[in-house]
Amino acid sequence: MVLVRVFYLCAVLAAVATASAGARPLATPGVSSSQIQLGSSVPLSGEASVAGNVARGAEAYFKYVNDKGGVFGRKIKFTYLDDGYDPGRAVNNTIRLVQQEQVFAMFSSLGTNNNLAVRKLLNDAKVPQLFVSSGATTFGRDYKKYPWTIGYIPPYSEEGVIYGKYVVKNVKNAKVAVLYQNDDYGRDLLAGLRRGLGAKAKAIVAKVGYDPTTADVQPQVTQLKASKANVFMIFAFGKFSLQAFNAVSRLGWKPQIFVNDVSSASALMSIVPQKAANGSISIVFGKDPAAPLWKRDKGIRMFQSILKKYGSDIGSRDLQDGYFVAGMATAYTMVDTLKKAGRNLTREGVMRAATHLTEKGNPFVLPGIVIHTTPKSRFPLTQVRLQRWSNKAWHPFGKLISAKPG
Amino acid sequence: MVVPAFTWTEFAQQIAAGIRSGAIYAGLALALVIIYRSTRVINFAQGEMATFTTFICWSLMNHGFSFWTAFPIVLAIAFVGGVAIERVLIQPVENASVLTIVIVTLGLALLLNGLMSLIWGGANRQFHGPFSTRTIDVGGVPISVQDIGIVVVSFSLVALLGLFFRYTKLGLALRAAAVNPDSSRLVGVRVGWMLALGWGIAALLGAVAGMMVAPVVFLDPNMMQTILLYAFAAAVLGGLDSPIGAVVGGILLGLTITLLERYVGFVGSTLKLPVALLLILVLLLLRPGGLFGRVAVRRV
Amino acid sequence: MKLKLALEVLGFLVLAALVAFLPRIVGDFTVYEFAIVGMYFIALLGLAILTGYSGQISLGHGAFMAVGGYTTAILSVDGIFGHELRDLWTIPIAGLVAGVAGLLVGVPALRLSGLYLALITFGIAVSFPQLPKKFDHFFGGTTGKVLNLVKAPFGLETTPNRWLYYLTWGIALVLLALAWALLRGKPGRALQAIRDSEVAAASSGVNPATYKTLAFGISAFYAGVAGSLYVMSKAYMNPDVFPIILSVYLVAALAVGGLESLVGLIAGAALIYVLQNRADDVTRWINHLPVLDLDPKQPGMPSVVFGVVLIAVMLLLPTGAGGLLRRLFGPLTSRLYSKS
Repeated sequence: MVLVRVFYLCAVLAAVATASAGARPLATPGVSSSQIQLGSSVPLSGEASVAGNVARGAEAYFKYVNDKGGVFGRKIKFTYLDDGYDPGRAVNNTIRLVQQEQVFAMFSSLGTNNNLAVRKLLNDAKVPQLFVSSGATTFGRDYKKYPWTIGYIPPYSEEGVIYGKYVVKNVKNAKVAVLYQNDDYGRDLLAGLRRGLGAKAKAIVAKVGYDPTTADVQPQVTQLKASKANVFMIFAFGKFSLQAFNAVSRLGWKPQIFVNDVSSASALMSIVPQKAANGSISIVFGKDPAAPLWKRDKGIRMFQSILKKYGSDIGSRDLQDGYFVAGMATAYTMVDTLKKAGRNLTREGVMRAATHLTEKGNPFVLPGIVIHTTPKSRFPLTQVRLQRWSNKAWHPFGKLISAKPG
Repeated sequence: MVVPAFTWTEFAQQIAAGIRSGAIYAGLALALVIIYRSTRVINFAQGEMATFTTFICWSLMNHGFSFWTAFPIVLAIAFVGGVAIERVLIQPVENASVLTIVIVTLGLALLLNGLMSLIWGGANRQFHGPFSTRTIDVGGVPISVQDIGIVVVSFSLVALLGLFFRYTKLGLALRAAAVNPDSSRLVGVRVGWMLALGWGIAALLGAVAGMMVAPVVFLDPNMMQTILLYAFAAAVLGGLDSPIGAVVGGILLGLTITLLERYVGFVGSTLKLPVALLLILVLLLLRPGGLFGRVAVRRV
Repeated sequence: MKLKLALEVLGFLVLAALVAFLPRIVGDFTVYEFAIVGMYFIALLGLAILTGYSGQISLGHGAFMAVGGYTTAILSVDGIFGHELRDLWTIPIAGLVAGVAGLLVGVPALRLSGLYLALITFGIAVSFPQLPKKFDHFFGGTTGKVLNLVKAPFGLETTPNRWLYYLTWGIALVLLALAWALLRGKPGRALQAIRDSEVAAASSGVNPATYKTLAFGISAFYAGVAGSLYVMSKAYMNPDVFPIILSVYLVAALAVGGLESLVGLIAGAALIYVLQNRADDVTRWINHLPVLDLDPKQPGMPSVVFGVVLIAVMLLLPTGAGGLLRRLFGPLTSRLYSKS
């Protein structure tokens, strides 16, 4: 019994001890003469953990920048915590990062629901919520209510529009079935698809939403197949996208598949049944390291060397993982923004810099893309290309298309 | 939500899927019942034990073993593991309060889950089962070979166990030890080891269930959690001390849930578990022993 | 008897003093963390009444916390009849709603005992999160509800974290006193009588059904209050804020901490807090052991540690540390005689 009591006392004291290693409040939290602290909450465990690699890619890039002297002599300390794609845990992580670690800004947290859950508390506390890893339109559009927030990746609604327009132009007698995640992420894609189809919106013959905490979307796909559609939109995330491809293969269904950008990583696409995957269409804004097109590209070479040298626990597969590239692209923009914000770094200053971007040289995104923001247009990435999957790789086709809302 | 119309072909496919799910639940439920009958313990760790052994199978296959070569090895490991767990963890608390025993199995579940994350990581992975995913024509309905295989393997195992319990001396000893330990001791049955044997068999059942279901749902440390719940429901439905009840309960539950999810729009996939549990609760209130079980007698 | 009473009151006062004093010596974020510990403490208090005193096992108390949490979230964000409610007033309402839910569960629970009750309440814990997902227009689905941050009322000069802390522990102390008064008196003795022998209790005039159902209701009330405070502290609610595993942790912390020990309850609450919110620190502590060098971001270790702790304590507790050694090395037959 005494043993137990002692154990508990230690647990409590240890909790106090680690927690009390607290911060002295700085003039601008998270900024000292030698350091800038950034925080993020991403899925490192659970079914969405592949996407968490964006943080690891960013981490490697920040270390590279630090090695070259940092930003105005300040090194970037990037702390990212695991939330398992759970918004409640994202809230916990964010509160901890802001209050205990006293970060300067939250950067590139992943997940639509996750970012929505913390948006209010960050804005109320006037902490910048920068370059969120979510394409939900609200992050770029609702700046009047949430001036401290800005998105990054191309908005999902516009992605849907692009798919819709493509179907109208290229698929005869289209009958479209849609599997969508039942949150802003999936619903934005669906709404965009409807807009893109325009007069042909009736082509959507079946749509099924699923909750992100569902175990398995196979039943939903079975239902969709029964609608006899010849086009299948997979507006699903991570493992659900995998399950959808598996189900399509098992059911012997052969529609034209569109898979949304966030789930299109080569790492995922190459483990699903290839017969189902071949011919799938998606959009892309970054350079896919697994695509033969970029094998000799300078930007990808740089990506791989930075990842090898500064990344932690990097396996050979990771060098081909698009999530790492996306993370590095976001980090590049972050560093760019910090430089623009000047030597006298404040939270207001960094928001001003983030909303006045004209970035042309990002080596990790497609050539020709200009990352552009204004205070009233907070969508940094609005140019993409279409790509098609075949022979275990993505092959971009066509020119850069606009994915700008409004 | 646009729900597609009813077709007989699809109905037959849903029945097949329901029986296939039911076979998995039946296997796990039987494991739970065997353990409950012998040691009066609800093994909350049954699912994690099954997933753990499935991971071992996956590792073996990664090192070049084919599925059917790895299969008996995994079964042996599972059996030994089950026996060891009973001897080391359960036997010391056999007479302790219900709460204590519940906590021990819950602790075991946490431990195994954490170990799996540590050893194999949390991401899900493909598990290449022994059955191909192509479909064959059964009376005009395309049924997947995998579904048929799962049902055949599960039922064969259950049948084998049934024969074992009924017709072998060891099986008889096991049943005796479960039903009347004191008298069994008097006739020379080593009750302690019989109980451990029960746990070994249960672990084996769990391993098979895990290896059958992994190709369908992707292998990750949390794979069996929902399935275990359904297995609990099936076991309670059939009667916690009735092996036949567990099997029947499993099939019934599998069918009910699959059909409810597909054909009752309101239920869908979101409410299928709560509705199933509600139905079972109602059943329990009417028939406290479940379909086949004896009424739980409350000692005063 | 008098001495015991005096000691208990003294213990209470010491606790109150510690609570009042703590914020002066620790940082603001730690105050916040202790506030959360207080919320788990309230929930454990309720569960102790149910399991410790009336002997009913509930593996579903996270669901009652969620009921309280949703009450606060919906009332704060959507308001009632068009009026948004101040978060403070939602606390007692949340407790009451949860309490009613507890009564509703308590009635069928009468027919189930021991393991069956554990299973059904576990089923409740698992099923409840599905409701907000199904009726997502009302509950907000997985996207959830975002609340306004906690603010001290009437312009009190204190940080939000300190306000939350004093609010939580103030409520905790009141509820503790309430539970203590209840359990010292007739209800407490009645519950203990029921726990030890229902038939005997019934024959001495105690109606087991009433008391057991009330115990469920009261313990659910406590859980609801705890859930309400928790949602206020996070300014967010969705079905996973009170995950299934929390219901397990609550019972486990109770069993391990000791059903009737105040220190045990507080320590149990601290343990749950560490597991839920500081899991990576657990891994960091483990890394201090030689040989091990685990990635704190990997989720496996805290579960392993807790699992081992649970098993070890349960095995050791019934007979003490010596008993386990005896069992490991003694011959099997010697167990027969201790079995009676």
